[in-house]
Parts: sequence; C-alpha cells; structure tokens
Amino acid sequence: MGGQTGFGPVPVGENGEPAFAADWEARVYALAAVLRRRGLFNSDELRDAIERLPPGQYLGASYYERWLGAIETLVDEKGLA
Amino acid sequence: MTYQPGAVVRVRNTDPDHHTRMPRYVRGHTGEVVAVLGSWVLPDDNARGVAQPRVEACYAVRFAAADLWGSGTHTVTVDLWESYLDQP
Amino acid sequence: MTSPEDHHEERREDHADASVAVRARRLEERLIAAGQATEAELDAYLSQLYGNAAPVNGARMAARAWTDPAYRQLLLADGNAAAAELGFTGLSYQLRVVANRADRHNVIVCTLCSCYPVSLLGPSPGWYKSFAYRSRTVREPRAVLAEFGLSLPPDTEIAVWDSTSEARYMVLPARPDGTGELAEDDLAALVTRNGLIGTALV
Repeated sequence: MGGQTGFGPVPVGENGEPAFAADWEARVYALAAVLRRRGLFNSDELRDAIERLPPGQYLGASYYERWLGAIETLVDEKGLA
Repeated sequence: MTYQPGAVVRVRNTDPDHHTRMPRYVRGHTGEVVAVLGSWVLPDDNARGVAQPRVEACYAVRFAAADLWGSGTHTVTVDLWESYLDQP
Repeated sequence: MTSPEDHHEERREDHADASVAVRARRLEERLIAAGQATEAELDAYLSQLYGNAAPVNGARMAARAWTDPAYRQLLLADGNAAAAELGFTGLSYQLRVVANRADRHNVIVCTLCSCYPVSLLGPSPGWYKSFAYRSRTVREPRAVLAEFGLSLPPDTEIAVWDSTSEARYMVLPARPDGTGELAEDDLAALVTRNGLIGTALV
C-alpha cells in the first residue's frame, strides 16, 4: 500500500506505542511464530493469507486481527485442526 | 546474478493475481541497483507451495521520488527479486 | 491494554475486542488439541521475545560503531557479522544498516506488511504497523517525520528504505555533538528505538 492516500495521520503517541495493545495480540504473534517454526506454513503463505482476506475485513480489522484471520484461513485450508 | 551495483533496471509492469513482493508503486518504474542482496526463495512461489520454488538474487533498487510520485526530493530504495526486473 | 477512548485509527469497541480475544483463544485451543502447538511452547516463545528482543541490542551496536571505526565499517558492510560480534547470532534475516549523515537522513518502513528487525529492536510499535505509516512514508517522508516532531533542514536528503525482502533495515544514527567523553554504555543509552528506525534523531 505504499503511496496509497487517505489514511490520515500516523498514530504517534501513547496509543500508537504498544507493540501489543492486548494480551491476545501477543498470543496471536506467538502462535504464528510457533506454527511457522514447526513448518506448518511459511511467512509468505501467512502474508498471502492476510492479503486474501476480503477487502472489508482487511481494512476493517486491526493488524493482529488480520493475522488471526490469516491463521484461521491456513488452518482450514491445510486441515491443521 | 545479473545486475551489479550501478545498473539501471526497470520493474516489470505486471499485476499478478497471486502473492508477490513487488510493490505496486514501483511497477513500470526505472531505478538504480545500489546493492546486491542474498539469494532467496521467490515469495510468489513460496506462498503457493510450489514444489521447487525459484531461488533468485535480490537487489536493493533506488528510485527517485519525483519519478514515483511526480514530486518530492527523497529517494525510495526497495528490495526486488531478479524476476521482478528487466533491463530498460 | 485498549481503553474506551482508544484513538487508534483501527477503532474497535471493548466488546468487539473481547470477542476477538475469545476467537484467538479458541484457535489456540483447537491447535493445541490437534497437537500442532503446546501451551508451554507459546509461553516460552513470548518469554524469550520479551527477554531477549529489545532496542538496547540495536543501541549497543550503534554505540560500538560510534567508538570503533573498524566496527562501524563492518556494521555497514555486513550487518550480520557485526551483530554476531556483539553476541547476536543466528539472525533470521540479512541485516542492512544504513548510516545517517549531516546531509542525509534514513528512514525505514515496510509498505507490504510491517517487516521489522524484531530481535534487535524488540517487537515493533503500533504506529509502524499502521496503514498511515506504511502508505505515507514512501510518498511524503518529511510530513511523516514532522508528525514525530522531527523537522529536518530542507537540504537534508531523505532516503526511505522499504523492507520488501528477507533483508531487515536499521538506521545507524549520527552521533550527537558533545558526547566525545562518554563511555560506550552511556552512548548506547542515548540511542532510542525511534532513532534506529529513523523517526527521531538521537
């Protein structure tokens, strides 16, 4: 999305600081890392799954909610659970 | 490895329907190779679970903002896999 | 944690956030039940992340480069070798370090997804992952830096680096004036995470 316009100011400051705004975000981050480390999917598959989220979901979901959606997609597509 | 630092390259003007690490904003634009990076699996193949994914050299390519956006004095350097590039 | 007055661009109500938390936990439980991950593994991963990945790592590398010209040369030529010299071995990425100068300022972004050298800087701040930062930094870096309170002279060249491959970028900030007498540890304490990304001077 380099150069795409309309996203407004960068969320600098207190609300833009935390790496993880909630515990579940850190858990999703860890889950992705562990599953990648176990070879269940690779980084490009994860990024691809994020990009394949329906546009409404992509733009409306927060960063780690998109990761969650992507992991769910890969789990279903690969029959992991 | 096809390109050396200093080489002028043009980014292919493709719009694949699969995952790629070729940002839209550099497609069709011409830049200069500033560094040769490692050789890595092509993300386009890796994302699709291709059995024998291509491994290609990656290059840091510098673009002038004025070329990319029509204005601006800064530069943007983007890392691009070899098959994303052509000689102009 | 989120608060009801969350002004983050991706606003969500508390109840929606709670439901995402439930969804995340359910996914985790499914995968644990299927034997694809363990609770211990996830806990251990977060422990080592919080314990080992922090901006002090990058700061130490910058401070060493300020005091040791040979290290500086190595850092700019082969970031991975330079990292290894300070004990940061086994980086999962090719580290490229770009030096700020009086006439040039570097800033790092990943427009495609938010790639970031986590092991050297810690987990990335929320703003780095925002659509606003990802979209605008390549197009109007001066305006973006101004939002961080950084106003550069008009004749300073700005070089933006978009992390689109297996390389990860870090800025070597310019050493501040008047620090000639400081020991390396004190110099490292001056180097901020934002300085290593390029959204601040140190």
